[in-house]
Amino acid sequence: MRDRQSGKSTSVLGRAIAVAAAMLGFAATSGSAQVAGGELVLAQSANPPSLDAMTSSSESARNINMNIFEALVAIDENVDPIPMLAKSIEASDDLLTYVFPLREGVLFHNGKEMTAEDVKASLERYREMGATRGMLDKVKEIEITGPYEVTFHMSEATPTFIEGFSSPRAPAVIIPAEEAAKPANEIEIIGTGPFRFVEFVPDDHVTLERFDGYVPNEDFQGATGFGGKKTAYLDRAIYRIIPEAGARVAALEAGEVQWADQIPVPAAKRMMSDETLNVYEARQWAFMTFIMNWNLPPTDDVNFRRAVLYAIEPEEVMAIATEGFYDLNHGWQYPGRTYNAGDIGKEIYETAHPDKAREFLAQSDYAGEEFLILTDPNYAEHSRAAVVLAGQLNAIGINAVVKQHDWATVLKIRHSDEGWNGWTLMQGLEPFLGPYGMAAKMTGDKTHMRGTDPVFDEAYDRLITGKTVQDRQQAFADIQTAIYDLVPQIKLGDVGRMQAGSARLKGFRPFRAPRLNDIWLED
Amino acid sequence: MTRYIFSRALSAIPVLFVVSLVTFLLMWLVPGDVASHIAGPDATEAELEAIRQRLQLDQPLHVQALHWYANLLRGDLGQSYLLHRPVLDAVVERLPVTLSLACMSLVLAVSFGVLLGVLAATKHDTWVDQVTMTGALLGLSLPDFWFGLVLIFFFAVGMGWFPTGGYTPFAESPLGWLRSMTLPAVTLAITQMGVIARMVRSSMLEQLGQDYIRTARAKGMPRGLVVFKHALRNALIPVITLVGIMTGLLLGGTVVIEVVYSLPGVGRLIIGAIQSRDYPIVQGGLLMTAAIFVFVNIAVDILYTIVDPRVRHDR
Repeated sequence: MRDRQSGKSTSVLGRAIAVAAAMLGFAATSGSAQVAGGELVLAQSANPPSLDAMTSSSESARNINMNIFEALVAIDENVDPIPMLAKSIEASDDLLTYVFPLREGVLFHNGKEMTAEDVKASLERYREMGATRGMLDKVKEIEITGPYEVTFHMSEATPTFIEGFSSPRAPAVIIPAEEAAKPANEIEIIGTGPFRFVEFVPDDHVTLERFDGYVPNEDFQGATGFGGKKTAYLDRAIYRIIPEAGARVAALEAGEVQWADQIPVPAAKRMMSDETLNVYEARQWAFMTFIMNWNLPPTDDVNFRRAVLYAIEPEEVMAIATEGFYDLNHGWQYPGRTYNAGDIGKEIYETAHPDKAREFLAQSDYAGEEFLILTDPNYAEHSRAAVVLAGQLNAIGINAVVKQHDWATVLKIRHSDEGWNGWTLMQGLEPFLGPYGMAAKMTGDKTHMRGTDPVFDEAYDRLITGKTVQDRQQAFADIQTAIYDLVPQIKLGDVGRMQAGSARLKGFRPFRAPRLNDIWLED
Repeated sequence: MTRYIFSRALSAIPVLFVVSLVTFLLMWLVPGDVASHIAGPDATEAELEAIRQRLQLDQPLHVQALHWYANLLRGDLGQSYLLHRPVLDAVVERLPVTLSLACMSLVLAVSFGVLLGVLAATKHDTWVDQVTMTGALLGLSLPDFWFGLVLIFFFAVGMGWFPTGGYTPFAESPLGWLRSMTLPAVTLAITQMGVIARMVRSSMLEQLGQDYIRTARAKGMPRGLVVFKHALRNALIPVITLVGIMTGLLLGGTVVIEVVYSLPGVGRLIIGAIQSRDYPIVQGGLLMTAAIFVFVNIAVDILYTIVDPRVRHDR
């Protein structure tokens, strides 16, 4: 029926996703029997700026919102897209139409059943005020094609559309149509997730409780990523806002909280010997990068940038910047991921090449002017990396100077051509989600390096329009080659995130945000 | 007296005007803007400009200043850029935390500071004096931040007597409120306690050497009465002035304590707003804090005239 209406056949991609949706999934968690009930107290460092999930891309909001709201499409444990509120995803062969049959009987927290009206209203709101609304740029029209079905009509074929649409950065969540009519940050917090919102006391806590009317996705055998068949065991969850890391550790050790985020590495190492606690290592949390400004001398000179690249000893930078919790990785994708480009750049990355660096420096127009390293103390890794980098660059004759400002000032300066040559930045969600976000920072008008090169534009275009995975892998490999040649950014390594929880907390697996489903507290 | 109170209240207006103006100008002089904070590191210049326009940050400075003062005269402190709510609401809902912390600290600092100061003065040049003054000096020297974490480690994690942080409203549970405020209040009070103890000691020593004290003792008046009724009353006059100034220090000191103990107070609100350049919150929060400080000092001045009639008669 759907295919007749649209006049197009279901594509291999669509079928593959639909089949995979049915087949994928994990048993909730093996091991000890799940215990229903109880109150879990979680500690995180920052206040959510808003619980209007569409409008906020902050991590502190995502930690909470991913348990309240759901989208048509989610990511699974391998960061691949899977249907969530959609029953399946059916793409036409020419990729100009996507049909999303909806799961029937899904209830909002106010008891109302979700229909296509709600989906359309939510997504139209997202197109207007979503924090990452660019992911719907290629959607020409959202059409209601049945009480439980919506169809996207695309302005051009974009093979990577579904991957972008599944992003949890500021997720395109589905809310009741009457809420979707409200301005940003003025909605009632009503979703379809396994937990419903109870209260938010700014700077103190956010409380959620189990939504007993939650309708799990029976197409899966268990929870996976932010989707799958979710089961809520906890009665209630309280997110306490504890900005000071030492206080979070103390709260965990005193038993006042049962899970805490951003544990300092020395404290985490100490906790590992405490049998009442579990330490979770989220190793692939962020890329530590050093971004070049292409519009200000001396970094407008490619040979100077190459000199910087070859002068850096990444291991020394990472060891000091991260207090020892890091992985050396030359790649601009994590190991084992689909778009990992293999050994490209590995030889350059593995160690410093001071002779080669001096050679490039001699070929450049560098005349001893200051090389300004922009950094901030708000993220200690940034400032520690900057200090080590300055030392390494001074050693080959570059007059590197660290310019430290607070985060707000750094953001302001980085948006201008003046005042910085290099900028230390941890990039978290983009590399986690795949190649597109990283590659996008080197093309168009949103580049971190304040300029671009046709080689990036051309390869990025192939990356997002490539018809096969192999085409897109080649495009990303070309981007990584160009990064090691033209040096828009320098990869320093992979930064991990330490989390810890009570030994009573069972079923917890670190992911991009703490998932309240399929975890429980043992008595 | 009424005329005096009225004139002191009037004098607060120019002070608050200057505070508001300085706050307004300072926030506009510091680099960075809220648009960059909202849009994040990946924003384009066009996106930043759109945010500035939406928040009317593209208006000339004098226009924004006039707008701010016009609203202020109507009792409107503006709308927070990031909290999406009126500044007044955001500040007022956090005031009970900050005020109860400052008040409890003040009570602790004054009670124990005076007691220790009197003890040191009456046991002048003995080991009691030495120990008390060394303790006071230690209290003065301890960083709030470090001392707070030490208290958490011993009394919350170790003994389990108090929570490690967080706030329980008094209306919800008076005992819970007391437990949640005790460690923060002690941390905040410890420095001020040292200041008061040292001041009371020197002031008491001065008074105990006066002729009227010698006369009282010669008349056979009990020692306690001489110390507490005659000497202490006069020794407390400079302490009252100090308490006024201390209120400001305590209100300022709550910032660090609120972070260490995860208390949702005004200090933490303002610090967060400074970091994210949420100008209305900074301006409104500081103005309200300054107003409290100014009116506490007016109250202290009035109290001073009651304790020391010479001040009243001089006027």
